[in-house]
Amino acid sequence: MKLAVLLGLPATILSAVYAATDPHEYREHLHLKPLPGGSLYAGFSFNATTSLGSYDKQHYRYFPRSLAQILHYTHTAELHLRFSLGRWDEETWGSRPRSGLREGGNGVELWAWLESDAERKAEERWSDLVNSLSGLFCASLNFIDSGKTVRPLLSFDPEGSLREYQAMQERVTGRGQGELQLLHGMLPHEVVCTENLTPFLKLLPCKGKAGISSLLDGHKVFDSEWQTMSVDVRPACHASGTSWECQLEIQQTVDMVLNTERSQRPHDDPIPRPKPIEEIKCDASKSYNGEDTCYPVAFEGEQEWTLSKIFGRPLRASCLASGSDTHDVSLAVPSERTVEVISKSTVSHEGDNSTRSYYLPDDTDFDLHLPQQVLASNQQESETASVHASRQITGYGQERGGMHTTLHNPHPWPQDVIYLESLPWFLRPYVHTLSLSAGTIKKTYYTPLLDRQRGTQLELLIELPAESTVELTYDFEKAILRYSEYPPDANRGFDIPAAVIRVLPGNSTLGAPTRENYLRTTSLLLPLPTPDFTKVRQGLAGLKKLLAKSKAGVNAGDESNGKTMQESSSPVKEENGRPKEHKKSR
Amino acid sequence: MGLLTRLLTARSSPVLLRLPPYLSALCIIAGAAWLLVLPLEGNPRATYISENAILPGQVHTYFGGSEHNVFRAYRQEVWQLSQRSDHDRIAGLEQILQENGLKAAAQPYSWQVAGEEIAGTNVYGLIQGPRADATEAMVLIAAWRNFAGDINYSGVALVLTLARYLKRWSIWSKDIVVLIPDDSTYGPEAWVSAYHSTTSTVTSTRNITSLPIKAGALQGAVAIDYPAGPWGQRFEKIDVVYDGINGALPNLDLLNTAINIANNQMGVESTLHNVPNHQDNYLDRLTMLTKGLITQSVGHATGPHSAFMPYHIDAITLRTVGDGWHDEMTLGRTAESMIRSINNLLEHLHQSFFFYVLLGPYSFVSIGNYLPAAVIVAGGLTVTALAMWIRSGKAAPSPAPGKKQVPEKLEVLTDGDVVAVVPKSELETHERKMFLPALILVGVHLGGFVPLYLLNNISAPNLPLTFYNISAVTLILPLYLATHIARHTSPQQLQTLQSFSLLLLGATLSTLATLNFSLAFLVGLLCSPLSFARPLPRLPLLQFPTKATPTTPKPTTDPVAARLAISLPAILLYIAISPPAVLLALNAYFGKPLAWTLLEMAKGWCAQGVWTSLVIWAVWWPAWVVGGTVMLSGTFRAA
Repeated sequence: MKLAVLLGLPATILSAVYAATDPHEYREHLHLKPLPGGSLYAGFSFNATTSLGSYDKQHYRYFPRSLAQILHYTHTAELHLRFSLGRWDEETWGSRPRSGLREGGNGVELWAWLESDAERKAEERWSDLVNSLSGLFCASLNFIDSGKTVRPLLSFDPEGSLREYQAMQERVTGRGQGELQLLHGMLPHEVVCTENLTPFLKLLPCKGKAGISSLLDGHKVFDSEWQTMSVDVRPACHASGTSWECQLEIQQTVDMVLNTERSQRPHDDPIPRPKPIEEIKCDASKSYNGEDTCYPVAFEGEQEWTLSKIFGRPLRASCLASGSDTHDVSLAVPSERTVEVISKSTVSHEGDNSTRSYYLPDDTDFDLHLPQQVLASNQQESETASVHASRQITGYGQERGGMHTTLHNPHPWPQDVIYLESLPWFLRPYVHTLSLSAGTIKKTYYTPLLDRQRGTQLELLIELPAESTVELTYDFEKAILRYSEYPPDANRGFDIPAAVIRVLPGNSTLGAPTRENYLRTTSLLLPLPTPDFTKVRQGLAGLKKLLAKSKAGVNAGDESNGKTMQESSSPVKEENGRPKEHKKSR
Repeated sequence: MGLLTRLLTARSSPVLLRLPPYLSALCIIAGAAWLLVLPLEGNPRATYISENAILPGQVHTYFGGSEHNVFRAYRQEVWQLSQRSDHDRIAGLEQILQENGLKAAAQPYSWQVAGEEIAGTNVYGLIQGPRADATEAMVLIAAWRNFAGDINYSGVALVLTLARYLKRWSIWSKDIVVLIPDDSTYGPEAWVSAYHSTTSTVTSTRNITSLPIKAGALQGAVAIDYPAGPWGQRFEKIDVVYDGINGALPNLDLLNTAINIANNQMGVESTLHNVPNHQDNYLDRLTMLTKGLITQSVGHATGPHSAFMPYHIDAITLRTVGDGWHDEMTLGRTAESMIRSINNLLEHLHQSFFFYVLLGPYSFVSIGNYLPAAVIVAGGLTVTALAMWIRSGKAAPSPAPGKKQVPEKLEVLTDGDVVAVVPKSELETHERKMFLPALILVGVHLGGFVPLYLLNNISAPNLPLTFYNISAVTLILPLYLATHIARHTSPQQLQTLQSFSLLLLGATLSTLATLNFSLAFLVGLLCSPLSFARPLPRLPLLQFPTKATPTTPKPTTDPVAARLAISLPAILLYIAISPPAVLLALNAYFGKPLAWTLLEMAKGWCAQGVWTSLVIWAVWWPAWVVGGTVMLSGTFRAA
């Protein structure tokens, strides 16, 4: 075995030298766009590629080795991982960035295509994948078990050329890897924070020290109005002559919306205490306006902001010393907006009317400053979102509830959407109560739940009529959990993962966009009947005492008190240990 | 067998058979005394914060400074809006919310109750916590009109200023809903009911539109009631109002948080039930207990917070009282601190008590200590019911006293060495004819729904008349039943009837005690004389001549006057404890017009979902009628 590795070594070096010319690429880009309401959208993307040959030989340059090894081991052909926090405000901010393709439900969302010849094998590999990623990203991904895993049929299509990739793999390794299976899991309660950002940055070639990633500071990223991080790995194959050339691409993105006013508060005084009255602009037209009475005027125009102030640190020089041929930073503001570039060696590039692009300097910091300004033209019209969706739990009480989803199509053309809901097993939907107020359900895929093993998976293909609001409702029953199945802080309730909504590309003759896009509802909180744990513990303590006393009575005399207590505690341990045995027996 | 034999022997013990009325009386006295004992030194427990996450008053509150100027402007603005039409007012409030970056919406609602329309429009706005995951929310309320019906100028202005201030923070783990309902009772009810329903099923009596904007599960609500006008008025104290609909209470932790913040952090004295200068002596504690008991038993809304309780959302109202030196910013900071405390919660409030009786701002009695009072009173009724049941099973005294006494048959029971000789009649159970009593009981209970229906469906101007008619019918009904039905029933059947009625009443009241302690206790006390209702001595004067039996009346030993002396007070007491009489008496005591009370009751039943009317007409009323029937059956007994 070792010999084989040694023999293989020169070949690896050779291929590395050969491959270095082309397939190892790295690009990064930051897109900035002020949004209505004093917010700023910042979209970071980092792309790296490696050839399939190098990947198989475990030779990496920009492609993160730690992640690649996990993918290699678990036979993952395509991977999508999302960490999300907050809500995208469609009403104010318009359509979602990247068509919602790089977003996830609140918390963590993961889906991947795994190669396996048997379903059991796929589950094993999925388990390996979530456990490894859990360690890599410091997230509780290992809690995605069979109960939280679904296999959507309609909602996701592979982004990469998986078929070609599989053919290539088969040729290289000489054996078929079986079918590709899609598995999908969500963790709505996972709180995304700095400890997930740090491993994310470590996957980058510059590790947050240079290039646009140097802006990413946990304090600012997680103080934003909306934030999502994504890691996407996909194979990309191009026909070259008679054969295929395959590459493995990784795209990492961090998208966020920052409140310019809040983000620019000084680091040492982030408390939004009331401003001195002199700094507040009062509405003098009010009859009661006076020394001690001030009706604040809503802010008008464009707010002042500086890149380094918003992110709390300057943008250091370009990540790749050689520089890249594509611009690194783009800023989408109207042409009349004043932009001061605080950097000497930057080449500014005026693109079309509304976007300016900048190359990062190789050796100095880069900064942008936009002064306060009132633009003559109205603020740029934000593009209307394709579909608005909101989902709520209705009803109250411990026994039953209802799910109520509102899908609003604001456009004058009908749209087809795929609605995916993956529900935990303790929420038992009554599918016969499923009803749609308007529109039609064209297809339904429904996998019923199995207690403690599998949740409900519901996939619907719905046609939303033009300019309509469709209400999707169904009733459900709440299951009663075992004492040991409650998580810590059980009285909070249980988080129900977001519904994934895929808006299919529309009919272009009607003016509908031809690109599909995704959106997700917010996650929900399901209150379940929760026992009074203090009472259970009191009961156990009472039992313990009783047993101790009875035992002390039986073994009266020669045994020391301490020993009796020790022995008597065993029934309690058994009580706690029982559920584990259940899991094993399954 | 030994035990059984002894018990069987004991059954015939004359002492035991005479015991029930005394036992019943003891129960009632013990139940009433129990409540009087509760406020005694040493019985109440000191309140404490049970949920560690709340950390009341541990945050620095920054609401102040230039916010005061903004507040004064908003107060003027609210005053100006109050001078304009409803439509303009709602638009104006929505505009202020939107200017401050909230998502604002309006919700019209209307109810048809007793021919009158309760209508209005709620305005609300949502602060989406930037870092919140939309799963939870808390509510800050200022009703446009406070519970007394005055325009809540300063309260609304304060909530608007707070919305502007709270929007700037990014620390919220929950969304904040700023709700400005049209009134203090039905607006919040419409809002919270729409919040939890899928689509509003519009009926002729209930027309609530669904909410266009929603957030997650509501975790708590704080309402502000500060009706000071556009030029302001400083206040002296904060009265914390906490009673929910049907006597539901918010978690004690929320109440303690409010009192703790007001007293310790802000230095504002806080009161409960508006009891001033609570000295923590027996009398003050008893006053507080009585006020709490009455408010809870009525079960109606006591403020904008009340509507939230049935949905398991803990809510309180902070009401300013008096003329003092605390300004609006203090109230604002109290609300800010409250919101921060609720924001700290990781779980729904569950640690502390949901069932408690407050004896002062800092002392309470938990359910384990006060519940026995109501259960003992209900138990007194059950004891009589069981005694009646045993008595009804006993063979009636020999039908012809004139006949020669037949020696009693004896039965020998043996258990090992023990031998007991028991009269045979003791072992036999006389066959009970239960069909007729059961039928009467069911009939009377169903009859209770007639006044319930009438009083909740008749138009408002006719309500007093209907009530008087119902009162008259109520008073005549036992008489009618006694003369027409009870005449055809044997004494045994009457005993069975009373037994059933009291058994049902006792069981219902002890169940109700766990839901609404005060109502169960008060109804129990008012019904307790019914367990002593026995057929009154016969009054020949009142015999209807036509119904009179042709047999010659037996010469009576006691004169009519003596019988009257027994019957009259009994009947007077009986009338005094009738539901209509008690309602009229309470009405007179609180000095409210009858029409108003009846309309409020109808509104409570139809629009708030208050169950008190049901308890009055379907639990108390039938028990009262049956008791009277039994009692008067003696008066009209055929000789």
